[in-house]
Amino acid sequence: MTATQTLSGPLAGLRILELADEKGQFCGKLMGDLGADVIKIEPPGGEATRHVGPFLDNSPHPERSLSFWHYNTSKRGITLNLETADGRHLFWRLAASADVILETFPPGYLPSLGLDYDSLGAQNPGLIMCSLTPFGQTGPWRDYMTADLLHMAAGGQMASCGYDEVDAPGAPPIAPGGGNAWHIGCHFAYMAIMAALVYRTVTGRGQYIDASIHEACALTTEAAIPNYIYRHEVVRRQTGRHHAPGPTPRTQFRSKDGKYVTALVSGRLNPRYIKDLAALLDSYGMAGDLTDPKYQEPKVIEAHRDHIIEELVANFIASLPAEEVYHAAQERGFTWGAVRAPEELLDDAHLHDRGFWKSVEHPELGRSFVYPGEAAIYNGSPWYISRRAPLIGEHNQDIFCVELGLSPQELTMLAESRVI
Amino acid sequence: MSLPRALDGIRVVDFSWVRAGPWATRWLGALGAEIIKIEWPENERGRLPSSTTPQDVEVNLNTSGNFNDTNVNKRSLSLNVRSPKGLDIVKRLIALSDIVIENFSSRVLQKWGLGYEELCKVKPDIVYVSMSGYGHTGRNHHYTTFGPVAQAVSGLTFISGLPDKPPAGWGWSYMDDTGGMYGAMCALTGLYHRNMTGQGQHIDQAQMVSSVPLNGPALLDFTVNGRGARRDGYPPGNRAHWPGTPLVNNYRGPTVAPHNAYRTHPGDYNDWCVIVCHSDQEWQRFVQVMGQPAWATSPKFATLAGRLQHQVEMDEGIEAWSMTLGKYELTEKCQAAGVRALPVQRSADRVEHDPQLRHRQMYLELEHPALGVRKIQNAPFKLSETPAFNHLPSPLIGQHTREIVEGLLGVSHEELLAGYADGTFWPTTRKRLPYMEEMLQ
Repeated sequence: MTATQTLSGPLAGLRILELADEKGQFCGKLMGDLGADVIKIEPPGGEATRHVGPFLDNSPHPERSLSFWHYNTSKRGITLNLETADGRHLFWRLAASADVILETFPPGYLPSLGLDYDSLGAQNPGLIMCSLTPFGQTGPWRDYMTADLLHMAAGGQMASCGYDEVDAPGAPPIAPGGGNAWHIGCHFAYMAIMAALVYRTVTGRGQYIDASIHEACALTTEAAIPNYIYRHEVVRRQTGRHHAPGPTPRTQFRSKDGKYVTALVSGRLNPRYIKDLAALLDSYGMAGDLTDPKYQEPKVIEAHRDHIIEELVANFIASLPAEEVYHAAQERGFTWGAVRAPEELLDDAHLHDRGFWKSVEHPELGRSFVYPGEAAIYNGSPWYISRRAPLIGEHNQDIFCVELGLSPQELTMLAESRVI
Repeated sequence: MSLPRALDGIRVVDFSWVRAGPWATRWLGALGAEIIKIEWPENERGRLPSSTTPQDVEVNLNTSGNFNDTNVNKRSLSLNVRSPKGLDIVKRLIALSDIVIENFSSRVLQKWGLGYEELCKVKPDIVYVSMSGYGHTGRNHHYTTFGPVAQAVSGLTFISGLPDKPPAGWGWSYMDDTGGMYGAMCALTGLYHRNMTGQGQHIDQAQMVSSVPLNGPALLDFTVNGRGARRDGYPPGNRAHWPGTPLVNNYRGPTVAPHNAYRTHPGDYNDWCVIVCHSDQEWQRFVQVMGQPAWATSPKFATLAGRLQHQVEMDEGIEAWSMTLGKYELTEKCQAAGVRALPVQRSADRVEHDPQLRHRQMYLELEHPALGVRKIQNAPFKLSETPAFNHLPSPLIGQHTREIVEGLLGVSHEELLAGYADGTFWPTTRKRLPYMEEMLQ
């Protein structure tokens, strides 16, 4: 245990009940990593997200999903069948002392079980309940089925991502990978829950939150919407750079090692920048004619724009490995970066300096694995992974027996009748 | 509106600029916090350069459409915080505030005498959120980012694209949007902690670092299994698996087919639908929706393994059908039958045609003094007791200097006039804008 871990996280003392699949598990992880006691409630046998790969040693098993591992750190886990009267009774008891319920069921499902916010909140006026669903609780698309890819389409991500015709003729709009529709929804849900928690610190009152992943995605395309609202322009897709109403110079260049470098050059071509750029290229003997004083004239720069970008910058980057270009350029104040595959982050010295990578123990396997850590460093209440994802029903005894007072015999009975 | 808001009574001193920081404080404003945006026209970035000013409006500090959408719910104080007088005024303001947010490069505000330790002297429980590119610690803390660079360096660019092509990446600064989310999330988390414990803190949020956990499953596949993402068939475009390459999870979700984008009628640039079948049952429903064409009823497509093996042929068959329908018509037919399908929506589609966004009132109008009545993007969540809503258009630069300095800090009108004369509230070398002249009457 490191020194910082003797401090509690900023959400210490909060009890969160998470009834969430792929749509909401990341929000629960954020709260857990920030110190809340997140109880993940899974159906008997485990949540379906345990069946998403990749798996430890490529061996599919509900306790070996790396996706589940990542998205469920710092949580405790219990199983409960809400479709049984006993299951609902136990949930009711847990809800009585919970601070937040996060759920991602189809709209109307929990109310059909009598577990609507009005009923749960009546016994616990401070309760905050967030329903994070594909489209929210109302509207013509409310019951539509989704997937990450569907949200990236309807939310506008795909309309902005893809290729210049020259790079990939006839290419479709591209949905970036990684499950980011769920991330986007979870970020907004987290924000809404925290706002409700702050309000509760002042008034003691809880509330219900109806959060929509579609709306969250539709918001997350930067200037695409303002371009339309203010100028009636619709943006087009370009390889590895910003969408735009009309074509803009490329910013992604191939490096010597077959990787790519993102170098934002166009739009910054003024005499001062040229001077710095010439110095950077010259330090590798690649400045060409860029040190010529004629390039201190804006008109000359403009007239040689293609030469500067497509020849000098492109050739410079093509002569070096991507990482070397990245660091050499950044050290001289250029906002450039290497396009890295995720695994290359493990070699990033800066992340190591920040203590970003965390070793997380999996005691049942007798092994520890390296996980990505915190998005931000809190100096007074740390954000950190307190434990690996729970095994199926790992904390049934802690919660049902120790906390709710059930006897071991009662627990056995509940397991036999598939309540837990 | 008479309902309370979640952050009523919370005051935020907002030093942020460009996009990520202002996107964070916009949401705190929608939740009810009072946002005071500290600005200085000589080093302003966010208002200019503007590529979103309407064609019939002059481009100036007050006419960027993107700025307007990014900076609703705020007031603007123009102040030279790098003058002794300006520094004193902003410290007096911070003493009356709850949160400070800034997104300068690391340690810039420290150099100006506005670092966390310094501000603790005037407001011991301040929640101070720094949103920088690389954070305030670590050997590369002085590196700088824009969204696209953070995305490249953190691995997000790489995971978007077709195999054997350059990365397609993200067509906008996704990490400005998402960095903004983290800024707001950190501020709210710090505020909650302060309300519970009485303790403020410094939160060092870094755009490049915040991106990394978004690749969690890919990172674990490497740290646990030793498998990297730089391999045949990755990234697989819109598919869950690229035909003819090793069958490995793509970190988006389950490996299924169909899982792709298909052209729709009439075949224009954004006439595409995505269709996904998560099970054999969903596939059978989809075959019904397509009218049971002969090719689709072949047993080779009846199983997931078969659909993955014959994915190219299947996708061609699907596209022959999808080309006969408009994207909204296709969506409705599929969804009515329990098949996952949605249209690729460009901006105009979302604002004008999306029936769900219209029902949920995603774009409500606000009047801006220079841009007129415009649609503004709304909150994607509905809080039952304390709804978030946009209540102020983006401020004109320095629009609220008098009401903040005189009204909040109790500075006299004479002192305000003196501050304009000595360059504290507006550069003496720059012409004052008409509303400033009115303010000084």
